[in-house]
Amino acid sequence: MQYEFRVTGHVSVVLAEAFPELQRVLAPRQTLFFGAVTDEAHLYGLLNRFRDLGLRVEEMRRLAD
Amino acid sequence: MLPASASAAEGGENTVVPSFGSAGAPLDPSGDPLLAATFSVPAVARCVVRRQRLLDRLTDGTNGPLTLITGPAGAGKTTLVSSWTQWATAPGPVVWVNLDCDDTPGVFWAYIVEALQRGLLGLTGDIVLPVCAGSVDHSLLVRLCSALERLPEPVVLVLDGLDKVPGREVASGLGFVLDHAGPRLRLVLTSRVDPLLPLHRYRTEDRLCEIRGADLAFTPHEVAVLLRGHGLVPGGETVDALTSRTGGWAAGLRLCALAMRGSGDADGFVRSFTASKDAVADYLLAEVLDAQPATTRELLLRVSILDRVHPELANALTGREDAERILTGLTRANAFVEPIADTRWCRFHPLFAEVLHAHLRSQRPGLEPKLHRLAARWFTGSGQAAEALAHAAAGGDWQYGATAAVQDLMIGRLLAGPDAEGLEGLFSRMPEDVPGAEPAMVAGACHLSRGDAAGCRAHLARAEHHLHGKGARPTPETQLTHALLRLLSEPYEQQHAGADASAAAEEAARHVGELMAQLPPFRIKEHPEIEVLRRHGLACALLKSGRLDDARTAFTEAVRACTAEATYLVRHQCLGRLALAEGIDGALTVAADHARCSLAVADQLCIPEPCRSGAGHLALAIVAFERGDVCTAIHHLGPAEALSDTCNDPVLMTERAILWSRVEVARGRGAAALAALDELGPSLLLWPAGRLAVARSTTALARGDHAAAISALDGAESGGPSRTVALALAHLAAGHTKTALRLVASIDDSPGLSLPDRVRIRLLRTRAAMLDGDPAAAHALLAQALDAARPEQLRRPFTEAGPWMRHLLHRSDGPLGVHAWLTAPPPDRQDDPILTEPLTGREREVLAHLEQMMSTDEIAAALHLSVNTIKTHLRSIYRKLCVSRRREAVERGRELRLL
Repeated sequence: MQYEFRVTGHVSVVLAEAFPELQRVLAPRQTLFFGAVTDEAHLYGLLNRFRDLGLRVEEMRRLAD
Repeated sequence: MLPASASAAEGGENTVVPSFGSAGAPLDPSGDPLLAATFSVPAVARCVVRRQRLLDRLTDGTNGPLTLITGPAGAGKTTLVSSWTQWATAPGPVVWVNLDCDDTPGVFWAYIVEALQRGLLGLTGDIVLPVCAGSVDHSLLVRLCSALERLPEPVVLVLDGLDKVPGREVASGLGFVLDHAGPRLRLVLTSRVDPLLPLHRYRTEDRLCEIRGADLAFTPHEVAVLLRGHGLVPGGETVDALTSRTGGWAAGLRLCALAMRGSGDADGFVRSFTASKDAVADYLLAEVLDAQPATTRELLLRVSILDRVHPELANALTGREDAERILTGLTRANAFVEPIADTRWCRFHPLFAEVLHAHLRSQRPGLEPKLHRLAARWFTGSGQAAEALAHAAAGGDWQYGATAAVQDLMIGRLLAGPDAEGLEGLFSRMPEDVPGAEPAMVAGACHLSRGDAAGCRAHLARAEHHLHGKGARPTPETQLTHALLRLLSEPYEQQHAGADASAAAEEAARHVGELMAQLPPFRIKEHPEIEVLRRHGLACALLKSGRLDDARTAFTEAVRACTAEATYLVRHQCLGRLALAEGIDGALTVAADHARCSLAVADQLCIPEPCRSGAGHLALAIVAFERGDVCTAIHHLGPAEALSDTCNDPVLMTERAILWSRVEVARGRGAAALAALDELGPSLLLWPAGRLAVARSTTALARGDHAAAISALDGAESGGPSRTVALALAHLAAGHTKTALRLVASIDDSPGLSLPDRVRIRLLRTRAAMLDGDPAAAHALLAQALDAARPEQLRRPFTEAGPWMRHLLHRSDGPLGVHAWLTAPPPDRQDDPILTEPLTGREREVLAHLEQMMSTDEIAAALHLSVNTIKTHLRSIYRKLCVSRRREAVERGRELRLL
């Protein structure tokens, strides 16, 4: 499953390293994280990780494989 | 390594709670001392903004049953509630619980019960802390609810950080407590996510007050107050800019204040911050971190692996001596470091800690495991073995962790203790091939605690290889742990008469005792579970080899030794097996007592199913069956079979099969009785094999096949006097009266005869006398048999004897006048059906009216309530009594003596 997460603001490389399984692309006023998500447990784990680091997920969607 | 008590004395305030633990103060199920900090209201920092609108909402909320405060990390949830306890008037005493990440349901409820008992002197009721960390029994919640219902005044229970406790079980338990604890409980929950409670229902019932993220956001006015509290003089534009850029996010605003004060150029900071496109938390934390001196930054990064920071521990991680000064400075600057009341410990704001952790991983790759190892050694030095183990595991230093566990004698707790699951979970991640004796022993203990004795032996063999290797000088602790594991994991299989396996067990137990004597007495005193496990291991081996008398003595001693809280699990198992041994021996009254005791221990302490033993139920089944109550026996066999050790312990497996076959014989189903025995397969152990042979013979005899009854006993090498009695009975049935009498004479009054066998011998002689045409002698012998059987109400041998017995008993001059007990109906079942949830006073009233055949309308009129209310009461009565109709409810109410 490929997922894309849009997070408010630009996320630094340091914090992005907390998501080694995702790629990071900076967009205007947002950061895109995308990559393969193994299963639902992984997905919720990722969301928790965003939350714990104080990052706000604005949008999340599944990409076509 | 220093023992906990010694280090507490030397290290002064080195540890958080030196007075707990060894002193025998309350322990939570995971064995950690209940941290006083868990129950303390977090300190309110000097410059916290007084937000009257939220304080008022919270005061309103606590007038109802549930207040839910949700918001993202750093939204100011905890600060709001802690400042509310200081500045507002609560409707009653406030009981606070800080929840932790690794709280399992057992620990969670233990904390809540403990917090309530500490905070409220008026809390009554027999609430026992749950003994196993994994889960809690529903009965605990019921008892908690009823205790809360009886409170004289409202209590505000604050559960801070509910999102950290995972799982549906805790949420459903909370929901239950909310529904049943009555109006005195005012629950305040803070959480980053909505808890799995039926919030929608609470909203429609108007039982919920919510303060959500948007409410917690700072208004421009509050932002101005906050900034002024940090000694800044912001203009209106600055306030607006910061409010909109942070979205009123409390932690972000505090970071802004710090950065503004640190940079010296407040306006410049505000400009660059509002212009930056970076994520708020990311930008601000990097900003604040960069503003710190290098030494502070290094310290912050290094201590980010910890939940709580102690200055000396921080020194150990940085290799410097300045941690105390730096931490005090950070606390004073309100920089997300807060001291833990009355200790030298402090903790970081969770958001700050997470981001620091990310910085550590990124800037110092590879350093994290090393830091964990350093922390493990510091915790060992300060006597906090559990923390040390957790860090050793996190650092992947299994050799160190396993050695520490063995040296600290923690293996006994892994097998018997309340924190068994936690320790096992910790070490279950250990790879199988970590070299060294201690890791092998720990891996073996993990296998044993899952009931896999063979796996344990494989690891012990590996450990022995290391222990006997060149230059190995095992410490007394290592030797003791090894000997104890050997004692507990050996199968003590005795396949041939002569090779006495129980003697080997006695030798092993003696060896453990000798090793214990080599350790200082206070250490053994700190670990009562070792002695208990030693006695338990020996007793089980004695039972396996059929030495019933010795096993009964050993189990009794083991039960007597189980006084400490850490040994209740073994107490439950020992009592069950003691009852089983007594049941087999025919001591039915004490067997029933001990079996009930075993079940009561399990229920009171909420021992979860996987750890429970089926021995108690099995013993009750045997008692009921020997007393002639087949239905009750079947009734007890069900729960016995549901528990795992009934299906993998050789003795329990055998006894279960034998009992089933006897039940089937009693029901007249001979083929099914044989099938029950055949299903089991041959037993590896001598004594159970002998018991099986006797059971086969008895079954064959009941089917009238005396040739098979005799041949069934041919192969049996042992079986002791039981086998001889069975053989004699078979010969008697085959018409070889003389052989039967000769056989019986050879074992008469042998010390190993059980009560049922003694009675059977007398009945055999009675029959022989009758066949011999000597009714007077027959009557005298029958009277002897009845006298022997009466104290234990042992009926089954008389039923089994055959139809001739009935003729003898029912003759006009028969003994039934004196021995009416023999044909009396089975005694009332002792285990009255119990009510899992008590009926409320109203529900009892409604039930009483139901008994008078009143309609819903009539009851409503009589009680001055609405019809709908009565219907609601009826529904909960039905649910609590597990019935679906009025008539059934009344009947069940009478059964339970509610009417």
